[in-house]
Amino acid sequence: MTTSRRDFLTRVATGSAALLLTSNVGRAQQKKDVHEMVMKDSTNLFAMDQDAALPVRLPPKPNAAPSMTDKERDQLEHHIHCQCGCTLSVFICRTTDFSCQVSPAMHRDIVQLVHDGYGAQEIIDAFVNVYGERALMAPKTSGFNLVAWILPGAALIAGGGALALLLKRWGERSRERSARATSTPFVATKGDSDATPEELARLEAAVRGDDKA
Amino acid sequence: MILIGELSLWVALLMAAWSTTVSFAGASMRREELIDSGVRGLYATFAMIVLASVGLWTALLSRDFSLEYVASHISSTMPSAYVFTAFWSGQAGSLLFWALILSGYSAIAIATSRKRNKELTPWATGTLAAILLFFLSTECFKANAFTRLSFIPLDGRGMNPQLQNPGMAFHPPNLYLGYVATAIPFAFAIAALFTRRLDAEWLGVVRRWALVTWFFLTIGIVLGMWWAYVELGWGGYWAWDPVENSSFLPWLTTTAFLHSIMIQEKRGMLRKWNVVLVVMSFLLAIFGTFITRSGVIESVHSFTQSPVGPWFATFFFVSTGITIYLVATRLRHLEAKAELESMVSREAAFLYNNLLLIGIAFAIMWGTIFPIVSEWWSKEKITVGPPFFNTVNVPLGLLLLLLTGVGPLIAWRRASISNLKRQFLSPSIFGLIVGVVMIVAGMRSFYAIVCYILCGFVTGTIVQEFYKGMRARQSIHQESAVAAFVHLIGRNRRRYGGYIVHAGIVMLFAAFAGMSFKVEQDVNLRTGESVEMKDPYGHDWKFTGQGVSTSERNDHASQAVALEAWRDGKRYGLMSSEKRQYFDGQKQPLFNPITEVGIKTTARQDIYIVLAGVRDKDTAELRVAFNPLVVWVWLGGFLMMIGGLVVMWPQAERRNAQAGYVAVLPSAATFDSEVPAGV
Repeated sequence: MTTSRRDFLTRVATGSAALLLTSNVGRAQQKKDVHEMVMKDSTNLFAMDQDAALPVRLPPKPNAAPSMTDKERDQLEHHIHCQCGCTLSVFICRTTDFSCQVSPAMHRDIVQLVHDGYGAQEIIDAFVNVYGERALMAPKTSGFNLVAWILPGAALIAGGGALALLLKRWGERSRERSARATSTPFVATKGDSDATPEELARLEAAVRGDDKA
Repeated sequence: MILIGELSLWVALLMAAWSTTVSFAGASMRREELIDSGVRGLYATFAMIVLASVGLWTALLSRDFSLEYVASHISSTMPSAYVFTAFWSGQAGSLLFWALILSGYSAIAIATSRKRNKELTPWATGTLAAILLFFLSTECFKANAFTRLSFIPLDGRGMNPQLQNPGMAFHPPNLYLGYVATAIPFAFAIAALFTRRLDAEWLGVVRRWALVTWFFLTIGIVLGMWWAYVELGWGGYWAWDPVENSSFLPWLTTTAFLHSIMIQEKRGMLRKWNVVLVVMSFLLAIFGTFITRSGVIESVHSFTQSPVGPWFATFFFVSTGITIYLVATRLRHLEAKAELESMVSREAAFLYNNLLLIGIAFAIMWGTIFPIVSEWWSKEKITVGPPFFNTVNVPLGLLLLLLTGVGPLIAWRRASISNLKRQFLSPSIFGLIVGVVMIVAGMRSFYAIVCYILCGFVTGTIVQEFYKGMRARQSIHQESAVAAFVHLIGRNRRRYGGYIVHAGIVMLFAAFAGMSFKVEQDVNLRTGESVEMKDPYGHDWKFTGQGVSTSERNDHASQAVALEAWRDGKRYGLMSSEKRQYFDGQKQPLFNPITEVGIKTTARQDIYIVLAGVRDKDTAELRVAFNPLVVWVWLGGFLMMIGGLVVMWPQAERRNAQAGYVAVLPSAATFDSEVPAGV
């Protein structure tokens, strides 16, 4: 069964036209949403939720004094995740240009809590109580999320173990082969090699890994 | 031309379907005419995709806003250069761009290897055509760049100003060139599995294309880092964002493959593992694309929620399933032809290197997808950010850096004590000296000290290798140092190109460690007010506000702040940072305001100023940072690129192509690490 090139191209063109028409029908049904799509597309690098900030408030501690310096507070803000939809910490987000209103709000809460005498861990716990674990820049090392921390190490140890076993097996096989080769005297014949017995002996020594020579 | 382009896209789809069908049929029935037709179908697919691409570029450059893609991604005032690059800035265009590269690569790979790999080519053609069929189907049915609007807008939406940057013009195409190149080794691996010809035949093609993958991914990743640093204004170059991670994963597996393939070439070992790495690189490239386009994981990169996500997921799982089946049913054909003799040898070092690279890849992938796993398990959203990735990957990265120095110098088969002493004594001493100098200079961070010791050690091994080689050439050929250096590299490009890449890696690690000494402070400055800071080297700095100015241009209004910088009491210069609001022809704001960062770069550190906002007309809210050693990231990346080019140079390929499974005589293997190659 053969098809001429012209026939083939005609069929391809007909098929394409049919597909094009079919797709146009589908497209016409979608047209009402298109304007909306244009407006939604490429408005920003990510979808920002400006209303994501929730109040994180605690009563001031008795005789409260600021619990840390501004520098330490900035460090703390590196560990709290901004909720605007970015992947940055509160400190980085509020000092960058994403026009975020969430990170400044979270920053104000942190400043207040520091002022009211709360320490770093207490502030982190307060944020986790309000937002959940997504307020953290990394999963907690407890509960199910401990798996996140353990698995990479466990996988590496398992991989290393498997590799060690493989290397051991290869080593044993190699030694067995070497022992077999040693127990069977090697007799060079003309067909085997043109090398002299001394050269063959040197080669054998090298095969066994003796590179002192 | 636009209509021709649209029609060509559909013809390309049919051609890809044709090529897939007849290539596989021809290969299984061993019918030459079908095989030839399949190859011609692949070439025709390429030609049709070129026409479709020309059609889209025509629509963009003629600013035909009747097309949804054009209206969504460019505007009438955008510079032509960025109108051109808008081809790959959106979902549909980038899919077409992917298809364009894949079809071009496929045509080149098949045309250049058809005669040498007669058995493999039909299967490889069918596989490549099938991948093209998937991309073209996605383009035609789910994200068509030629979709027309029901109305013609007066102007387009334009491109996000943050994307109008040279880094962003070149970063995506390079990443695509790297991602897509993984398809060629994958296709030849599938062909080798189908035909059970898993010997040296496919190694040559696969290695060459793996290098292409590695080369372009390296450029793409470094350009992405540069863009993030100069444009996004958060002060770093790597945020462990899911999309960044996705581009890093195939780079890691390809790097592992480029090391382990040497063991297969020299010793005929690791055949199963190499097939797995080739396949893994391609599947991770698809996984990365899925992550970028499905919106399943929160990322600052947007293709966000889109209908192509399920398509990519299906393609990923189907490809994985087929590959697992093929590998499982052909395991006995993948038995090694030799075995490892010692745990202290170059083969073993490369295996450890592979273990670490794959371990890092696994940790990154796990961290990237863990938010989904956690949400599925506990119904609670979590974030896996830099603290996780740094904690897990820093120790592994340092071990990898150690192996970067050990691997190339240790003897093949079995290293003796004398070999180890000869090769590693001087570099180890040099590394320790570097460590002592750092401690004496006041460095106290454990990881940073270890990193600099290892950087010193690896630098020592590289310098030693070049020194030995040049000395040998100088004594044998009576050459000058420069001529000996050039000829040394020229005579063994693969080896010395690799050392150049390793030198680039050392620069990167040194720069990464330097970033841990970053100093930053957020300050509010009115005109005439000053802030004093100390940089990581102990210098005293003073920044004095020079006032906030406003200006308006055609497409944006800006607020700028100028600071006068003083170092140790001496005037250093003026620095400025800007905040811009872009708008359309009707002065309606477009996109969110963006910041133009002020950066002063020196070899030791960058001074990095970000204007976050202006309060009460005169108070600038700023972040001032000293970022140590950043320029070495770009120089390291550039050096890796140069090394990659040296390795890829065809002459080295021709010489090594003969290597195949030649069992190198043990004595010669020992020489390989003792006597400089290329002498």
